[in-house]
Amino acid sequence: MSLSRETMDKIRKFAKEQSRYYLEDAEMTYMEKMRRKSAQTRDRIMKKLAKFKNRSETALEAQNDMILYMSDYMNDLIAQGYSEQEAFERARQDLQFRSDSDKSADLKERFTEYYENFDPAASEAIGLFYAGFLFFGVAIGGLAGLIAGGGKDAFLSGGWIDTLVGVLVGGVIGLGFGMISNAVVALKNRQ
Amino acid sequence: MVVLDNLSEMLKGVLEGIVLEIISRGEIYGYEITRRLHAMGFEGLAEATVYALLLRLEKNKLVHVTKRPSEIGPPRKFYTLNERGMEELEQFWTRWDFLSGRMEMLRNQGGKPS
Repeated sequence: MSLSRETMDKIRKFAKEQSRYYLEDAEMTYMEKMRRKSAQTRDRIMKKLAKFKNRSETALEAQNDMILYMSDYMNDLIAQGYSEQEAFERARQDLQFRSDSDKSADLKERFTEYYENFDPAASEAIGLFYAGFLFFGVAIGGLAGLIAGGGKDAFLSGGWIDTLVGVLVGGVIGLGFGMISNAVVALKNRQ
Repeated sequence: MVVLDNLSEMLKGVLEGIVLEIISRGEIYGYEITRRLHAMGFEGLAEATVYALLLRLEKNKLVHVTKRPSEIGPPRKFYTLNERGMEELEQFWTRWDFLSGRMEMLRNQGGKPS
């Protein structure tokens, strides 16, 4: 029994997305799993970067295996009376990757909790604190440097270095205040 | 078919042996193994379990894989047991005999040796 082109495209897409999870789980050693747990952020970034890499032959094989496995399963379901769409939905549900490791289940739960409690306003506030303090520091530092260096006339006759130093010092102080604000917001969010 | 709740949980430890035994009976492809398991009465078994198990068997080099053209595009993999797989299967049955013997002993004699 042949499946429609649309369904085959859906199967390919599903297999491409899901097969890597199975492969990852089957290929990882205990140490690698531990390393993954201790480097969640890095792993997330690497996974994003991996999308830009060419897929390995093993990954493509796993994907092809899943395409065939899923098609066979769907054909059996269709033979039992399911429509093509129903069969696809059922197969998709049954073949969706589920990790049976307690550790990874726990990790997923913590990730979910983190994203559920994630407040975009807090991130925005942190960014604004950094920018605000930086601008403030640069402006005050620059002005202080200009005045301390002898004003406009001194600035034009080579005294600009004082203003530059003032700008840099002000910028650093601004960043410092930004970091302190970041820490305060992070601690408040944790409570 | 006998419906047993949580059968999948009990099968976790022995499914690899079951699949190795099925493969040892002759060349077979992935979903055909699932069909064989269903025919044996293991209908509650999640489809994904067999797919994941086959990836693991291949990764652990317990099977020999032959690729043949399929009707829908990607080559279909046919599995046979290699020497390492045979050894693993033998060890599985040894472990099974031990376990089932002890379980019988437990059921019949409450764990006291006769």
